Amino acid sequence: MSSNTKSILFAIVLCFVCSLLLTIASSGLKSYQVRNINLDRHKNLLKSAGLIDDQDNNAPAYIEKLYSENIKSLWVDSSGRIVKEPERGEKALPIYLYIKRTEIESYIVPINAQGLWGKINGYLALSRDGSTVSGFTVYKHSETPGLGGEIERSWFQKNFKGKKIVNKEGKFVSISIARGAVKDVVQEDLKANFVDGISGATLTGKFLSASMKDILKEYESVSVKFRQNMFKEIPGSSGAVNQE
Amino acid sequence: MKTAENKALMVLFEPVWKNNPVMVQILGICSSLAVTVQLKTAIVMALALTLVVAFSNLAISALRNMIPRNIRIIAELCIVATLVIIADEILKAFMYDISKQLSVFVGLIITNCIVMGRAESFALANPPFLSFLDGIGNGIGYGSILVTVAFIRELLGSGKLLGFDVIPGAFYSAGYENMGFMLLAPAAFIIIGLLVWLHRTLFNK
Repeated sequence: MSSNTKSILFAIVLCFVCSLLLTIASSGLKSYQVRNINLDRHKNLLKSAGLIDDQDNNAPAYIEKLYSENIKSLWVDSSGRIVKEPERGEKALPIYLYIKRTEIESYIVPINAQGLWGKINGYLALSRDGSTVSGFTVYKHSETPGLGGEIERSWFQKNFKGKKIVNKEGKFVSISIARGAVKDVVQEDLKANFVDGISGATLTGKFLSASMKDILKEYESVSVKFRQNMFKEIPGSSGAVNQE
Repeated sequence: MKTAENKALMVLFEPVWKNNPVMVQILGICSSLAVTVQLKTAIVMALALTLVVAFSNLAISALRNMIPRNIRIIAELCIVATLVIIADEILKAFMYDISKQLSVFVGLIITNCIVMGRAESFALANPPFLSFLDGIGNGIGYGSILVTVAFIRELLGSGKLLGFDVIPGAFYSAGYENMGFMLLAPAAFIIIGLLVWLHRTLFNK
């Protein structure tokens, strides 16, 4: 056997064995990973609603209990009306409600945004006045660690709290990430609509701002209802919203 | 018999101190800067790397007479990459939070010079058992530096160890402050530099 054939044969066998091992590892651990990912999503939802803190080290059972007691997931159509899960059309939007006792405290919009290198997944919680952000979290992204990856840090996320998605006249303007610190680069009357940017991650900020605007625009009909105080009734849970 | 045992012990312990991969060979610096802000991530990273080096050494050494010379680097990479991905999958399944914090750095074990360096310079020339020990030894050598650096950084930078507060509140009220600088990558550089200095001074006496 010539040495070339031997090399090729060896390479083929090695690749086969390696891929077999990878398949076993990946499919064998899949169920654990899916559980972790769901738990992490729920944890982030609760974090955006302000129910748990970054620092807390909560047991999985506690997270699930908190989630099932306080968060309700449902679908709305493009006019902001609640639709039942089986009747929802293609365009229905998932939304989560944080219900404190019997009052809606805030509503949470899933942010599936485009970042610089890939999708950014997170949640934006808006309080029931329909214009104030009450929390923002990111649970998955592929930005550069240390630069755009800072979006997962709490200083950046806490930045969003209390900001507005509407301007002084009450018109929708979304929320944008500034190029630098808000107090230095944004004029006085727009400060409520901007959050501090990350140095070295201008593009991540730009992409995230643009996507966030698109997403919030879609949800504007819901936000309007909240602003007019018309989103009152607590609907029966329409089953879990399976996002992703 | 005696000499064989001695040799095994030497292979295992030499890289821990005398021929430490980080302090003497200056390998694996990148990840030692990145994952040493907290003790917990440093320990997990050290474990992951130790297992990867040990098993890649074992596999490459077992195959050393079969691997064709002309494609040996690719074959080594293939084995290392497989092990790293398996390690990453296991972390994702059982230590999700830590794996999120380590993010790309687990994947980057592939490019850690320690792994390829040991495969090339040791595993290709030695029998499997010794290579396995060499891998464990180098992993411990790397891990001990990681843990030392992380210990100093977490203690001085956030006043915690493994996430628990260890600096008493009285210190803070007396005006003590955490060193924010310790949380930045340059701090790790300086600590590693000091460790290298210490090592050389003790060793060249």
